[in-house]
Formats: sequence, structure tokens, C-alpha cells
Amino acid sequence: MSLLSRRSMLGGLSALGTSALCTSTLATSCGLFGKASAEVVKVGVINTFSGPFARWGEQTKQAIEVFQKQRGKTVKGSEIQIVYRDDGGADPARAKQLAEELALKEKVQFLAGFAFTPNALAAAEIATEAKLPTVIWNAATGIVTRKSPYFVRTSFTLPQDTAPVAAWAAKNGIKSVVTLVTDYAPGYDGEAAFTRVFKENGGEILESIRVPLPTTDFAPFFERVLEKKPNALFLFGPGGPSSVGMIGTWASRLKPADIQLITTTETQEIDLVKIGPAALDAIGSSHYPETSDNPLNVSLRKDLEALFGAKTIPDIATVATYDGMQLIYRAVEQLGPRPPPDAVMSLWKGAKLDSPRGPIEIDAQTRDIVQNVYLRRVKAQGDRLINVSFETIAAVKDPWKEWNPG
Amino acid sequence: MTAWITTLLDGLAYGMVLFIISVGLTITMGLMRIVNLAHGAFAMIGGYVAAVSIDHGLSWALAALLGSAAAGIAGGIAEIFLYRPLYRKGELAQMLLTFGLVFVVTGLLTLAFGVDFQRIPLPPSLSGEVSLGFRSYPLYRLFLIAVGALLAAGLWLGIDRSLYGARLRAAVDNPAMARGIGMNVDRLFTATFVFGCALAGFGGVVGSELLLIEPAYALKHLVTFLVVVVVGGHASFKGSFAAALLIGSVETFGKFYLPSLAPYVSFLLVLVLLLWRPHGVLPAKSLS
Repeated sequence: MSLLSRRSMLGGLSALGTSALCTSTLATSCGLFGKASAEVVKVGVINTFSGPFARWGEQTKQAIEVFQKQRGKTVKGSEIQIVYRDDGGADPARAKQLAEELALKEKVQFLAGFAFTPNALAAAEIATEAKLPTVIWNAATGIVTRKSPYFVRTSFTLPQDTAPVAAWAAKNGIKSVVTLVTDYAPGYDGEAAFTRVFKENGGEILESIRVPLPTTDFAPFFERVLEKKPNALFLFGPGGPSSVGMIGTWASRLKPADIQLITTTETQEIDLVKIGPAALDAIGSSHYPETSDNPLNVSLRKDLEALFGAKTIPDIATVATYDGMQLIYRAVEQLGPRPPPDAVMSLWKGAKLDSPRGPIEIDAQTRDIVQNVYLRRVKAQGDRLINVSFETIAAVKDPWKEWNPG
Repeated sequence: MTAWITTLLDGLAYGMVLFIISVGLTITMGLMRIVNLAHGAFAMIGGYVAAVSIDHGLSWALAALLGSAAAGIAGGIAEIFLYRPLYRKGELAQMLLTFGLVFVVTGLLTLAFGVDFQRIPLPPSLSGEVSLGFRSYPLYRLFLIAVGALLAAGLWLGIDRSLYGARLRAAVDNPAMARGIGMNVDRLFTATFVFGCALAGFGGVVGSELLLIEPAYALKHLVTFLVVVVVGGHASFKGSFAAALLIGSVETFGKFYLPSLAPYVSFLLVLVLLLWRPHGVLPAKSLS
């Protein structure tokens, strides 16, 4: 045990002491006295705000601003202050250093963010030692929430989105598939989850291709898929330009040969603008139906457009952040501005929330998110492309945890 | 068997994109001998200007022209105010400055257009598929091969075989002597640099289907562009043409036949080529 835990224990004790005093007859003077220190709740957000993956950070920031516009910047008189830190991309050493700084110097009450799994894993140790309740806003590999008892996740896991679409494919006339994933950890997760569930349901995997991360021209990989003549291609890309390139290549090389495209979140509405008509008829699987008429989603989209312009589109990072903020606000509302970390965790375990994406729950055992997964197809609506859901699989838990009992 | 032909075409198209972008670097770094790590930044400027132009309803051809012009103008300004003072300062100073320039341009473009990538949608006349007899093939890739070949021929005539080319080579080899016989070396350098950057911008636009325009562009593809110039041989157009096609084709065949080894195939090729010919496959005469 290090300095960290001792400090935070002292912090916890003094907070307890203050609140105990305040419940006594001295309450009024206490409120005045404790004002300066007790009223600001700091939330440390470590995310990627620069470099090629800065969109994660940008979406996060927008979600927080919309959330605070809707719910206010104070909870029961305590100001919720967001302290942003930029990890610049997948950089575990930097993420750990930032987490340390936020815990020790900024003395934040909550930690949140983490677009990348390695960064979240690096911060796990700090969260555990400092007893910092932490909300994971993206990092989507199965193992993340196991790494610290102070982690909860409001995003998703890759197998959670992948397993339902694999089962659906096998049951709906798709007998053979070639998987094509980006050659990095999340890609392997996607490949493994799809292969496992597709085979369990009687499908056949003809080949598993891994595409190097820096690839710019995808044509030869897709020509190889064409040679194998599968019914469908399962695709998992790293998002951004690469995913656009992959889907464009599918449309030009494989779609004419009737090879169906199956993906997970490659066809998010935010990317459809850039991918263009090439994405038409692609099948996707996501936990966030962007066009949902859920009132929370409608107001989220309305406020995003009001604050950041009519072209602003929410994505999986937006809703994960929004719901992460809901958890943090709930903790402050119910436990006060200096909530004991373990009380926060028990509050969050099993918590049910209304999310813009629909109903969600934090699993009491795994602290991971349980949510609906929507299978959808890209369709044109006027001159705009949208995802049209055709099947909803309710309350999906992370299957990775079942496959890898820890 | 037909896959062999499409893979060859894919390889050529990819190689041509590498050539069109890198040939500007062959001019600025190879011919003029400036360590110009900011080359990709000019390609990216071209791409952004074209994307914005198309957004404002201009045609693809006009957008490509504007993109090239903007990259050329940016290059001219950079040459006069940033590069010129560094011609005699040596390679380290040039490297640091041009690398810094990459970050500045990346930052400015992010500020103006956000972190997302930009699409430069193709005109209907260049998109879609054409029939090759046995199957269909994207028309745009055939267009890329044609444009690359035309550009190569034009540059060979314009620089290897012209008075302008002779002057430029003379000015680079011995600027004092060139000034002594009455040549305006400064103007020649600025004009050439503008031309090299305009080519980068043009490459950024026409290559954007393969190398998408995004703020990280200049850094992401820097190594690829440098490799083409180095493997081709400094200052050699024929060399960078051969190198780009060779790298493009070998990489493409590698992806098709040995997908799991794809990233190593092209580096292995570069290694072998450089061991075989350390000054590049077809180095320019003045250097060999």
C-alpha cells in the first residue's frame, strides 16, 4: 500500500467527520464553514483529445456539455467540475501518469473516460489504490472491468455487440463466412466472438484474415475474400478512415457477387455521412440506435445540434459519456459531494438507468453494462443514410465474462 | 486466374498513387536537397481545399485544380519565409523545422475542420465500375493508372530533357556558379518548390480514395513517401516511378497471397532493394 491509499483514507475519514458533525445541531454553521472545500465535486476525465483518435474526446466533451445543460452544473448545491486530461491516443504510461495526477494533485472524486483498453488497464491500479470510482466510457475489451473493483463500464464490450449478430446470421441462411478484422487486440476479440457464436449455431468460417493496422488499400484483401466465395463477410475495423475504406471496397468488390456485409459498429450514423451510399444494405449490430425516438435520445440530439451545429451526430462515445455522467450525478445526489468510494460502488452495482439508447443496467457482479443490442441495416431516407433496426435482443450481458470465468 | 489480373491492376493503381504524391518529394528533397518532412502536409492542404471546394458545389476537376494550386501557394510561401533561410543550415535544422511545420499544419487543419476525415467524392464520370470482359473493375483505379503514367512521361520530358531541368540541376549542384552566370537561383528554387508542392496537393486529391484526407495524414504516410524517394534514388523520376510501382505491386500481391505477412513483405522488399542498390534503384546521373 502506498501513499495514495493512505491519503485517500485520510480524505475519506475527514469527509466522514465533517458530515457527522453536520448532522448534529451545528448543521447550519457547518454548511457555511464547509462551503469552500465541500461544494466542488471534481470529475477527472482522461480521454483522447488530440491526434488521429481525437474524435473520442470531442464526442465526450460534447456529451458532457449537453448533459450539464440539461441537468445543470450543480447537484444539491455542489458544483460538478470536469477536469479534462488528454492521453493523446493508446498510451498506457501517459494514462497512468494522468490518473495519478488527478488522484493526488487534483484530488478528484471520480475518474472517467478511457477510449483505449490499454489506457484503462494502466489506470486500474491507481483507481484501486486511491479508491476512485471510475466510469469507463469506451475501452471495450471484455477484461477491463475485472482489473479494478472501482471500475464500472457504460459503453459496451465487443463480444456483446458481436455475439447477437453472429447468432442471427447463422439462423438466417448465412452458412459460410470469412472474417476480416484489423490486426490488433479488439480485432481478435471481434474475430473470436463471431467465430465462436457462428460455429455454435452451425455456421462455417472459411478463413480468418487479419489486416495490418496501417493498411490504406484494402482491395487485395477483399479480392482474397471474393476467391473464397462466402455467403457473408464479417468485418471489424478500427473506425475512422480505415473502416470507410473497408466498406467502400466491400461495395465495389464483394457486393456485386452477393456477399453480404456483417459488421458491428462500423456503420454508425456519424460515419455513414462519410462512407456514403457504399454502406447501403450493410448489416450492423450496435447497442445505440441513433434514430431511436426515446425522449432522452430526441432531447440529446436536439441539444447537440443547438450547441454544436446542425451537423452534429451522437455516437457510441456520446451515449456512454452521457450515461457515465448520469451515474456520477446520481452518486453525488444520493451520497453527497464527498461520497465514500465503497458506497458509490454499491450504489452503482445493479443501478438501472434510462439511457438515450434505451434501458441499461450495471451488472451487480461484473460491474459491466447490460443493454439491448439492435441489429440493423443501412437504408437511405431521402438524401440521408440511416440504420434501420430489424431485431432487438434485450438485456445482453457481456458474453466474454461467461466464456472466461475469472 | 482472373484474380491475378485484378491484383496486378490494384497494385499498379496503388503504386501510381504513391508515385503521384511522392514525385513532388523527389523534386523538393531529391533534386533541391531539402530534408522536406512536411511534404505530406502540402498533400493534405490540397486535399482539404478540394474537399471544401466540392462542399461548395464546385466540380471535381476544378476542386483538384484548386487543391493543387493551394498546396503550391502554401509551398511558395513556406519556401520564401521558412525554407530559404535554411538552405545552408544543414540537414538537422531542416528536419526539425519541417517536422515542426507538420505539427503546425496538422493543428491548424484540426482547428478549422475538426478531427474527422474528409471525403472528396468522385464525379459520376469517374466512379462506378467498368467491365474488363471477365468481371467488373472500378473505373477510378484505371483512371489513376492513366494519370500516373501521363504525369511520369510529362515530368521526364519536362525535367530530365528540358532547359529548365538542366538549369535546375545546375543551380542545385553549384548555386554560386549558377548565380555567377546570371541565373536567378532564388526564383528558380521558389518556382520549383511551388511546383513540387502543387504536385503533392494534386496527389493528395487524386489519391484520397486510397489515402483518406485527415489531420493525421502528413505524419501517417510520411514514411511511405520517404521510402519511395529513397528506394527510387535521390532526384530520379524514373527511379521513384519504378520504386512506387514496385512497392505498390509487391505490397498488393503480398496482401492477396500472404495476408498475415503483408506488413513485412513491403519492408523486406525495401531492405533487399537498398542492400542491392544503396543509392536507389535508378539514381540520377548527377549523383552517381
